[in-house]
Amino acid sequence: MDSEENTTVFSTLKSFNSFIGCPATSSSTSGSTLQSQYKRNMDWLEAAEKVQSYSRYLQLDQEKKQMELSHKRVRVELEKSANDSACNLKLLEGKNSDMSARTKKLEEREKEALRNLSERVEANRELSKNLESLGKKVEERDARLSASNQTIICLKDEIRDLKQKLQNQDSILSNKKLEKQEVQEQLDLQRRKYQEMSQLCQSLQAAQSTCSEHVMKIKELERRLALQEQDAAIVRTIKSEATRVPDLEKEVKRLRGENLFLRDNRENCSLLKEEVEGLKRKLERTAKAKEDLVNMELEKERLTEKIRAWENLGQSTGLNIRKPEDLSREVIQIQQREITLQEENYTLNSRLRNMERSLSELRAQMSQQHGKTLEEQKKREGQSVLLDRLQRRFLLLTKERDGMRAILESYDSELAPAEHSPQLSRRLKEAEEMLLKTQALNTEMEAQLTKVQDETGTLKMQLQTLEFELESLRKQQAAPDDVCSVSKEEVNMLRQKIEDLEAERQRLEREKEILEMRLERHNLQGDYDPVKTQVLHLKMNPTSVGKQERQQEIESLRQEAEHLRDVVRKLQEGGHSQLDAILHSAELSLPPPKEVLDLQKQIESSELRNQRLKEVFQKKIQEFRTVCYILTGYQIDIPIENQYRLTSVYAEHMEDWLVFQKGSNGNMQLMETAFTKTLDELVNLHLHHQNSIPVFISAVTLELYSRQTTV
Amino acid sequence: MTSTLKGITLKGSVEVVADFFSFGINSILYQRGIYPPESFTRVSQYDMNLQVTDDPKLKDYLNSVVSQLKAWLLDCTVQKLVLVITCLETNEVLERWQFDIECDKSAKECSAPREKSIKAIQNDIRSVLRQITATVTFLPLLETPCGFNLLVYTDKDLEIPEKWEESSPHIISQSEEVRLRSFTTSIHKVTSMVAYKKTDSL
Repeated sequence: MDSEENTTVFSTLKSFNSFIGCPATSSSTSGSTLQSQYKRNMDWLEAAEKVQSYSRYLQLDQEKKQMELSHKRVRVELEKSANDSACNLKLLEGKNSDMSARTKKLEEREKEALRNLSERVEANRELSKNLESLGKKVEERDARLSASNQTIICLKDEIRDLKQKLQNQDSILSNKKLEKQEVQEQLDLQRRKYQEMSQLCQSLQAAQSTCSEHVMKIKELERRLALQEQDAAIVRTIKSEATRVPDLEKEVKRLRGENLFLRDNRENCSLLKEEVEGLKRKLERTAKAKEDLVNMELEKERLTEKIRAWENLGQSTGLNIRKPEDLSREVIQIQQREITLQEENYTLNSRLRNMERSLSELRAQMSQQHGKTLEEQKKREGQSVLLDRLQRRFLLLTKERDGMRAILESYDSELAPAEHSPQLSRRLKEAEEMLLKTQALNTEMEAQLTKVQDETGTLKMQLQTLEFELESLRKQQAAPDDVCSVSKEEVNMLRQKIEDLEAERQRLEREKEILEMRLERHNLQGDYDPVKTQVLHLKMNPTSVGKQERQQEIESLRQEAEHLRDVVRKLQEGGHSQLDAILHSAELSLPPPKEVLDLQKQIESSELRNQRLKEVFQKKIQEFRTVCYILTGYQIDIPIENQYRLTSVYAEHMEDWLVFQKGSNGNMQLMETAFTKTLDELVNLHLHHQNSIPVFISAVTLELYSRQTTV
Repeated sequence: MTSTLKGITLKGSVEVVADFFSFGINSILYQRGIYPPESFTRVSQYDMNLQVTDDPKLKDYLNSVVSQLKAWLLDCTVQKLVLVITCLETNEVLERWQFDIECDKSAKECSAPREKSIKAIQNDIRSVLRQITATVTFLPLLETPCGFNLLVYTDKDLEIPEKWEESSPHIISQSEEVRLRSFTTSIHKVTSMVAYKKTDSL
């Protein structure tokens, strides 16, 4: 169809082109042909346009058909593809489910794997830790091993030293033995000598005993001799005394006679003494009587004189006196006269005193009046002053009032603006307050002033009264002379009294100073007045405690000294043989000397060190043995000296052991045991042929191991 | 507590005086060697270094004496405190440290604090303690083992407390006396003096 359309298009186009070409030949025609040409052109244009549009339409139609075709194709393809995709989708879904199942499985496996991994990691960590600890332990074991090796080396050195010492000691011992033998020989010699000497001693002792017996006999004889001599001397004295006996008898007689005589004399003496005493008393009495007599005579003379005077009285006084009655009469008269005179005296005195009193009263009144006049004057002055002040005050007040009035008027005049009134009133109040304050101050000052003026007035009054009194006293002093002289005497007496008192006062002051110094001294020393003060102290004070402790110490020391003295006495009495017994019985608890203490301490420390070393050795040896067992696989025991028993770790029975003997030349030999009988080949190979014990032992280990694993 | 106030009350004065006695007695015991120097520790008080004893028995004794002394100081019934040093062998008194206490009884009635600065009181106490330390130069050496005792002079009519008893004044025969400084808290005045036995070796 398209091609048909295309061919039509082409054909039209061809015709068009030919059409277009034709007119080119016919262009000579004229204008009508131009119009026709134009018309033709226009027709051709229109036809061309139509053709064009038709061709476009055809094109479009073709395109549309093509598109529809393509559309269908595409749709078909799409359906195919959709089907394919649906199939794919199903396949994919199936695959997806498979995959999801697989993923789930894989996830589960992964989780398990993770768990396993974590477990393994933990196990790993633990193992690593164990490894570390084991490593540390191994290190420690290594260190300990090295240390133990060192100690073993040290011990070996010590053992060597000890062996050397032992050898030295052995040599010394042998020397000592030799010496001992020598000494023993000497001892035998000495014993023999001793026996001889003992025999000699015995003989000597016998001789000594006989000698001592002789000596005792001699002493006895001497004693007897001395006694005899004493007896002889006594006999001689007795003889001499006996010769003297008759003389003594004579003397005795004489003395007896004297005695009697003296006794008589004594009695006479006592009689005489009594007489003497009697005479003495008489003498005293007579002396007293004489004195009395003398006194009496004196009194008599006095009395006679008195009587004579009394008798002459009448002549001396010129009165008519003959008898005592006259005298008494005269006396009475005189007394009466005296009484009257005294009465007159008293009246005169009373009058005098009255006069004096009135005088003093008048003087007092005068002074009072004077004082009053002064007071009046003062009052008048005060009044005048007050008046002046009041006038001044009045003036001030009037001035103030005028001023205040002026201020008030000014304020009233300015009262129109209302804003100023509160201020003004405030100012007014302040001014009033100030005024009141100043007035109060003023009154205070005035009161103070009045007080001061009063005081000055009183002082002036006192002064004037004193002056007045002084004047009166002066006037009194200028008065009669007899009063003055009496007062002068009084004044002198008073002055002397004053001087005496002054001197006494100074003396007392000095005494007081001395006493104060003494008191101060006593105070410093610690004296006190028992009436006002008491001294207290605590019952349990350090001094008393110290004294008690000292006492106890002294007591204990005394007891110890006594005890030691007893021990020493016992020792001195007992002698050396009983030394130990005495000391033991004494139970001395002497503190051991310092050296002993030091040595004890050293011993303790060395024992402790030994103990520690033993423990350390034990531990190290045990460790070493276990490590050897672990590393070599053999436990090495020493059942007997120089015999070593090896038990393998892989041994089948407990009694499967290898026994090696160390020979005197130092090499090891394998002993025959039940177990070695089973190892003949190895023995032959390694020991007899190869002559190597380590190889043999390792071969045995391998054999046993192989036996164990196969079994 | 008294250092923050301006004035000093009766109670405060009692505390000051009791502290002075406590430290003073410790100083004297240390200086005179009554107790071994290693039984003393150094403390700081009144801006100076003083030695105070560690011995528990001695501390108990001093505390009991000082506490009773405080009660008596409050009542103003104590007149003197004396520290007596006795030779333990011969029982004779070798030294006598005497502290006279004068109490202003008007402080008991009127409880207003008095104007006296704590610093001034502490300065005075410091000078007294320094002087006590300096007296060691002229006091004779105490060569024999010695014990000490504390005596208190109180008013006669005072009731004797339980653990106390009357004693003799322990006066030294043939003594030399030296008067030391005094200090006052304006309520209590404490004067110090020392008396020692004259030594013949001069």
